[in-house]
Amino acid sequence: MRRIFWVALLLAFVLGSALTVIYVKHESRVLFSELRNVQKKQDQKIIEWGRLQLQNSTLATHSNVESRARKTLKMKLPETVQLVRLP
Amino acid sequence: MSDIDNQSLFFGGRHYFVLFVLLCLMIGLVGRALYLQIVEKEFLASQGGQRQIRTIETPAYRGAILDRFGIPLAISTPVDSVWVNPSEILQNLPALKLATRQLSINYISTVDNLKRKANKEFVYLKRQIEPELASQVSEGIDGIYTQREYHRYYPAGEVVGHLVGFTDIDDKGQEGLELVYDDWLKAEPGARRVIRNRKGAVIEEINQVSAAQSGKDVYSSIDMRLQYIAYRSLARAIKYHAAKSGSAVLLDARTGEVLAMVNQPSYNPNQGKKQSSDQRRNRALTDVFEPGSAIKPFTFAAAIDRGLYSQKSNIDTSPGWYMVSGHPIKDFRNYGVLDLASILRKSSNVGASRIALSMTEEELWQSFSDYGFGQAPGVTFPGESSGYFRHFADWQKLDHAIMGFGYGLSVSITQLARAYAMIANQGRHVDVSLIRKEPEAEIENRVQRHVMSSKTAKMVLEMMEQVVGPTGTAQLAAVPGYRVGGKTGTAKKSAAGGYDKDNYFSVFAGVAPISDPRLVMAVIVDEPTQNGYYGGKVAAPVFQEVMSNALRILDVAPDDIPSLQAQIADKETGV
Repeated sequence: MRRIFWVALLLAFVLGSALTVIYVKHESRVLFSELRNVQKKQDQKIIEWGRLQLQNSTLATHSNVESRARKTLKMKLPETVQLVRLP
Repeated sequence: MSDIDNQSLFFGGRHYFVLFVLLCLMIGLVGRALYLQIVEKEFLASQGGQRQIRTIETPAYRGAILDRFGIPLAISTPVDSVWVNPSEILQNLPALKLATRQLSINYISTVDNLKRKANKEFVYLKRQIEPELASQVSEGIDGIYTQREYHRYYPAGEVVGHLVGFTDIDDKGQEGLELVYDDWLKAEPGARRVIRNRKGAVIEEINQVSAAQSGKDVYSSIDMRLQYIAYRSLARAIKYHAAKSGSAVLLDARTGEVLAMVNQPSYNPNQGKKQSSDQRRNRALTDVFEPGSAIKPFTFAAAIDRGLYSQKSNIDTSPGWYMVSGHPIKDFRNYGVLDLASILRKSSNVGASRIALSMTEEELWQSFSDYGFGQAPGVTFPGESSGYFRHFADWQKLDHAIMGFGYGLSVSITQLARAYAMIANQGRHVDVSLIRKEPEAEIENRVQRHVMSSKTAKMVLEMMEQVVGPTGTAQLAAVPGYRVGGKTGTAKKSAAGGYDKDNYFSVFAGVAPISDPRLVMAVIVDEPTQNGYYGGKVAAPVFQEVMSNALRILDVAPDDIPSLQAQIADKETGV
């Protein structure tokens, strides 16, 4: 009687472990596909970041900024006489 | 007995039952095996082919080169390279034709090329294109694949071309900082084992063999704002004077960091090797010249430091020339008796050579070596020159005399700038650096050894201020509101068999502000042919333009308020 009990118990363990393997395998597939998606998104972001960085540095070239300041905004350096010294 | 019979019968039935079950199982297995081998063979084989275990590369990108505030000078952005497996794609020519049209490459020559390489498995179709286009081309087509790569961009283009250098298509540094710091910048792609389907898409990752390691960033010492201003001013001067080439170096006087280093002619690193090596050379570090009068402050410093002269010492320079070993040493005209400051202000060769001769050859050699002449600036840059400065044992008396006004030795403009930085840094040695130093570097610099006493440095600095003053040779270097000092140089270029009469180096090196030096700048213009050739006419205005902007941008407080107020008063009274 006791032997049957032990066998039944071990059988339950084996079954449980087998089911867990199936479950974990499934879980890992789901997580992997999620990881791929996130990696793809990250890749897109990196590409976009690089593009924005390039765009930023192209627009912010000093020559560009200077010519805009001078031509469009009509800015200029103050002359010495226009300087005011704060005590 | 019947009990036993019954038992054996019972067990006999069980025996056949077991046999039967085992037989059924075996038939089942054999049947399944036959089915798989014969009926489903093709399907399974194709499925197996689709799922391959491959080791693929995890891309990693090269580190960026940045200016001291993090503005990118060189960055890597992802691009894709399109490659094909010739044996696969040659089965599908319409797809290849479409791909070549999308990539705008020649279809016929591509097919020819692929046929020649038909036994290979990997041939590039086009390298480094936009990821979006690449995925359009390769999506859904067997035999066309993409590979992630990184392309190097240089947003600042030719403004920093000489410093940054460039990389080749395989991302290896070829010149400039890209070459020097290649080990630091370079990326280590990782590797992982994956199961891929036939289209190359990863279905499952098995394990990671090695992790991808992206390159580390390099913060250079350059300040892009100042670099741009220096570039613009120098380019303008080279054009105005129709000169051959030119360089300018701006140093932080306290730390020795290079804030700006520009050369003309320049080149665009985005175009890499396509440009001539003459354009690609970082002249500020590689090219040497005879500094001429720009060396005089150091002749003075060496003599003053040894106590041979003081501020009040007078030297008789009349009649404006004298002979050394049968060669005349001449001044522009007869200046008569001059004090030290006036010798510098009028740039008297007679005076400077007399001072040089007042020291022994060894003393002069030792001091000049201490100021860094004949020593590489130590920025570790390809082709960096240490100039030309002979050991005193090889000097003739004439060499000794003309050394005092900058002939018989040659220096790079960076070496000259460093020497001026030593005067500006209260006589302490200065290490030049192209890499940003930590803020503590300034304190570290305070323990640098003295190459001259701080008293001497201060004295020379004040004499240099007079050169920029209303009676000096470099009035065009004056920056309103600031006390500025410096020295001009106009050196004849040496040519075969002597010195060229009409070709000059125009040099100016200076320090600002005098009361607490922050910046040091040296400018050289090679062979100015129009609108003057004197250092004070050609190089000094570049100094003035860059310095006045730099002092404003770096928020250095004016140390010469009275002159500003005088100007304001003048304007107000309408003078």
